[in-house]
Amino acid sequence: MRLAVDVGGTFIDFVYHDELTGEVRTEKVRSAGTLSGRLVEGIRALGADITSLPTIVHGSTMVLNSIVQEKGARVGLITTKGFRDVLELARGNRAEIYNLFYKQATPLVPRYLRMEVSERVDFRGVVVEPLDEQELIASVETLVAQGVVSIALCFLNAYANPEHELQATRLIGKLYPDIFVSISSDIVRERREFERTSTTVLNAFTRPRFSGYLDQVGRRLAEEGFSGALTVMQSTGGITSTEIASKVPVRVVQSGPAGGVIGATRLSSLINQGNMVVGDLGGTTFDVSLISEGQYSERSDVSINRRPIMQPSIDIVSIGAGGGSIVSIDEEGGLRVGPESAQAEPGPICYGFGGTQITLTDALVTLGYFDPAVYMGGRIALDTNSAEAAIKNQIASHLGLSSEEAASGIVRIATTNMAYAIRQVTIERGFDPREFAMLCIGGGCGLFAGGLLDELEFKSVIVPNMPAVFSAWGLLNADYREDVSRTLLTSLDDKTGPLLADAFGEMEERTRAALATTTAASIRIERFCEMRYTGQAHTIKVSVFADEISSETTGLAGLRTRFEEAYARQYRHILRDSPVEITAVRLAAIGETEKPQVSEVLARSASDEASLIGSRDIHFGSKAAQLQFALHDRARLRCDDVIQGPAVIEEWNSTVVVNPGQQATVDRYGNLILEKLK
Amino acid sequence: MSIDPITRQVIRNALRAAAGEMQTSLIKTAHSPLIYEVQDFGVALTDARGRLVGEGAALAGFLGCLPPTIQKGLEVFGPDGFEEGDIILANEPYDTGTHISDTVLYMPVFFEGRLVAFTAIMAHWADIGAFAPGGWCPSTTDVHQEGLIFNHLKLYDAGRLNKEMLRLILRNVRTPEAVNGDLNGLIASCNTGAMRFQELCRRYGVETLNGAIEEIFENSEARMRREVSEIPDGVYHGEAYLDHDGVERSKRHRIAATVTIRGSEIEIDFDGSDPVARGPVNHPLVGTRALCATVLKCVTMPDDATNDGHLRVATVKAPRNSIVSPEYPAPCDSYGYVAELVEYVVLKALARAIPHRIPAPSYQMYAYHLVRTGESEHEPFICAEPVDGGGGAFPFDDGPSGIMFLGNGDAPNSPIEILEASYPVRFTRYTFNPENRGVGKYRGGFGVIRELMVTEDKAYLQVSTENNANPLWGLAGGGDAGRSKTVVTFPDGAEHTFDDRVGDVGPLEAGTLISMYTANGGGWGDPGDRDPMRIADDVVNGFFTAEEAAGSYGVDLGRIEEALRQRRSEMSEVKHAR
Repeated sequence: MRLAVDVGGTFIDFVYHDELTGEVRTEKVRSAGTLSGRLVEGIRALGADITSLPTIVHGSTMVLNSIVQEKGARVGLITTKGFRDVLELARGNRAEIYNLFYKQATPLVPRYLRMEVSERVDFRGVVVEPLDEQELIASVETLVAQGVVSIALCFLNAYANPEHELQATRLIGKLYPDIFVSISSDIVRERREFERTSTTVLNAFTRPRFSGYLDQVGRRLAEEGFSGALTVMQSTGGITSTEIASKVPVRVVQSGPAGGVIGATRLSSLINQGNMVVGDLGGTTFDVSLISEGQYSERSDVSINRRPIMQPSIDIVSIGAGGGSIVSIDEEGGLRVGPESAQAEPGPICYGFGGTQITLTDALVTLGYFDPAVYMGGRIALDTNSAEAAIKNQIASHLGLSSEEAASGIVRIATTNMAYAIRQVTIERGFDPREFAMLCIGGGCGLFAGGLLDELEFKSVIVPNMPAVFSAWGLLNADYREDVSRTLLTSLDDKTGPLLADAFGEMEERTRAALATTTAASIRIERFCEMRYTGQAHTIKVSVFADEISSETTGLAGLRTRFEEAYARQYRHILRDSPVEITAVRLAAIGETEKPQVSEVLARSASDEASLIGSRDIHFGSKAAQLQFALHDRARLRCDDVIQGPAVIEEWNSTVVVNPGQQATVDRYGNLILEKLK
Repeated sequence: MSIDPITRQVIRNALRAAAGEMQTSLIKTAHSPLIYEVQDFGVALTDARGRLVGEGAALAGFLGCLPPTIQKGLEVFGPDGFEEGDIILANEPYDTGTHISDTVLYMPVFFEGRLVAFTAIMAHWADIGAFAPGGWCPSTTDVHQEGLIFNHLKLYDAGRLNKEMLRLILRNVRTPEAVNGDLNGLIASCNTGAMRFQELCRRYGVETLNGAIEEIFENSEARMRREVSEIPDGVYHGEAYLDHDGVERSKRHRIAATVTIRGSEIEIDFDGSDPVARGPVNHPLVGTRALCATVLKCVTMPDDATNDGHLRVATVKAPRNSIVSPEYPAPCDSYGYVAELVEYVVLKALARAIPHRIPAPSYQMYAYHLVRTGESEHEPFICAEPVDGGGGAFPFDDGPSGIMFLGNGDAPNSPIEILEASYPVRFTRYTFNPENRGVGKYRGGFGVIRELMVTEDKAYLQVSTENNANPLWGLAGGGDAGRSKTVVTFPDGAEHTFDDRVGDVGPLEAGTLISMYTANGGGWGDPGDRDPMRIADDVVNGFFTAEEAAGSYGVDLGRIEEALRQRRSEMSEVKHAR
């Protein structure tokens, strides 16, 4: 038995899976009010017995929201003397080249709460000047007197030698045991002082609130009789304990969309489809990620509202496109869809919650994609007339089009925007869309399955079962994971082997210790080097195998070869005679968990009901002429069923559109595979 | 032929995406950090007549330079003089608008045998065989000292590489591998754009595509003209002076612009600017025009990608062979200082018409090179970076502190922890430089103090900076921008202050301290009108004392102290609420 709870901005999704019966139960409650209370409410509604559950997996957007909305603790920052402004100076670039009024992010710690103390370590980690303890104590006193509850500490070159940061932590802990202290070397042992300071400050900023929330959830679940482990999804797609998540909340910033990618990775191996572009279309954003040769791609940092976080994360690119994307006509007469969104409140016009701005959903409703009577299982009553009237008055009349032509145009522009974004994401990472299938997840993505297949060069487009709660299901498939990294500068020579062995050995010990208390069945270690041609700035992450770090020379040739293979894929050339160097080492310890079984769908037998339940007239194509789409009930589909487009395949919370000239095949797990007819 | 508005918009987005892909492709395939790190390039997609349809750039000024370069090529070869597979190089500054190092590579795009488009990139080459490695010569006196000139030469002729020409290029640059690698990246990027344009031709047909492009131009132009007609009619002036041109050190060159607005027409005339300079600070007319278009776009419609519709609105004139319209063989390699001033004099003129929409100028360029070469006992190194400074005040807010000068675009500073691990330097300060300049109702952003100690012997320092004797101005009664300076403190305690460009200070011994102070941006509005609460914030944040602020702003000390009491009591409420 497993339970996953995915707390999003508008809804909390629950997925409960019982291995014995094969039963999967889902539930959705609104994520308003006291979250821990809502969570318990949902678990009760699910009717799941949690007293015997070994673990509950928790995905949360709370840390992300805290950063986006700038709601967090009063933080004080302590730095090396001479460098307290590094946080505010940032990188100095003008990211918007035509904006004469561009400013960098306002620092979350104002200058008067940024203190400097005498201490200095050089880039090799050698102490140049000892830490002045008196100055440190005076600084902390000043900060505490100012109401600071959480302190961030970032010293120059602490990545090379954290001793001064540790010394300061011990000192502060002794004097002020109730103050949260976040130190940079504990969160990330890599160079780049601004990014490391920013990461530490964001950790200090989000920590009191998030740790308080996790405490509260733990207590409420205990009251319900839960005695297993509550685990939290991290940005890396691996889960961790609440203890670690409470201490290092910057690790869980991308917790929200991670579940979908983990689910996609599981699916990728199940259906033997190693290369997939994963598109997750929700109300406000279209999140794109890549799975290549069965592995999702990762990055070593993320940035939220111009505030960088140096933490490993699944590589997810978000585009402002979703069901709630607002439609407008710009000053040049061009039709725009997004990036602004009507959000959950007030939402699309057709929802009747007070929305007055046209959204993508309003266009779909106008074109006839939904049956108002059964939309979202009757949970939302669609007001088709208001949507159509608004499109007519605000858009169609200005462009000299009928309201259906305008609505069709809106859908076309949204589809092409998504397609251009996918192309950019794949090419930027050195991949060719023609070698990929696309996986459509999230409530809205199936509507664009046919359109994206027509627009891009994908082999196929796949819509899995329960696409609307696929992310929550994905959480059930996560392993435990501990990531750690070090800046380590070295060329590739005979001294490199022992250097790597030392660094990896120490990192492995540390991560194994962190995983020791979990329920993980076994631990797998993955090692990587960040490598580059000497003198270049960009690095590439290259795998290091266990047998390579034990010996002194044999491994290095393989390392260079793998670096050059990766380099050639990204940049389409190699520099044959240039020396190569390592800039950092990374290690991921993965505590493997048992994955839920995925039940298969039987082939059609004579007694099965036909999936065809009627038809739906949709205004389709650039002329928006009415076209009859066959209507299928997804629950009645069986393995190997083939549905010719034009067709609509429906379940209560999602709709899949198969365009003319395409067909959808049901695979043995019930996934829909859309392909173009030759 | 009228195109349906949906198809037009899909094409508009597709062209933007195509240029974006060209940009991505270039960053991915280039070899030189000037391209993939500093992003010193501009990418363009034009129609068959060389009119801009899609852009991708970190440096906006480059975009306006590409269309005239291609149009010059159309003159040189004639409209029928191109063949599929041609790749052309051009970098004569008077054609391309900046300096020789920014070389343009362009490619005609054919569909069904017909010329339909050009793809083009202007990028700073790693080396161009100039007197100074990597270009940016500080004291050349003619263009031939500044490197190899390509006057629209076909590197590929109908798909055939001109091997002799490539050999000539690679033998005459100091970094042949990087240059050759970048060339391949530039070509790959142009191919990407060409492929996308051809796909659009296939999908929509050349007629529909061209029709849509024409309408996109018209709509952009119409919108910009609407914006221009909102600016009050009138004749507005702006002018600025350089400290010197690098050769004639006693002469302060004048850059002047007159902006005339009449309805939806805008003319920018540089009459009154000084004749061509002897030193390499001259800024070619093609570039002057491009910067005028950029400024106008920043002011009127910053939210959109640029196309020909935006570029065609302003009429730009300049006297012949002036500092903003030099003719052969005038030196142009250090064009960047005047580039900043061209933008700022136009903004200064516009500020007289629409004072509430124009920020005050930021600090002028500041960059340093710390170099050790040719020393047999020591490893050579070149540590070079621009240093950020104060942004000009906005008409509604204080300017940004610690931001790069306008012409540096999206390029960032370098992390100190990386510099220390790469060069024999140890940084001692990186903090704000609160000068009492740039005061105003809204003050200029603060410059920075970036201070380092040299930890080994025999290094030489070079600093590029301008407008310290003649600082840039404030607007609407705001104080002038500050003055950057460089202070070198030698190990024996002797100190030397430099307040303009310097070359080859050294050899510096280990223990020498280099303190770089970059200027505050200009202020906006009467400093006496400054909200005492803003002054209180600056006092709380430790930039000034209340007494200092009262002195430099002319605000009553009592009012500042009252504001301070209020601020401190708010801070203590926040504290107790937690």
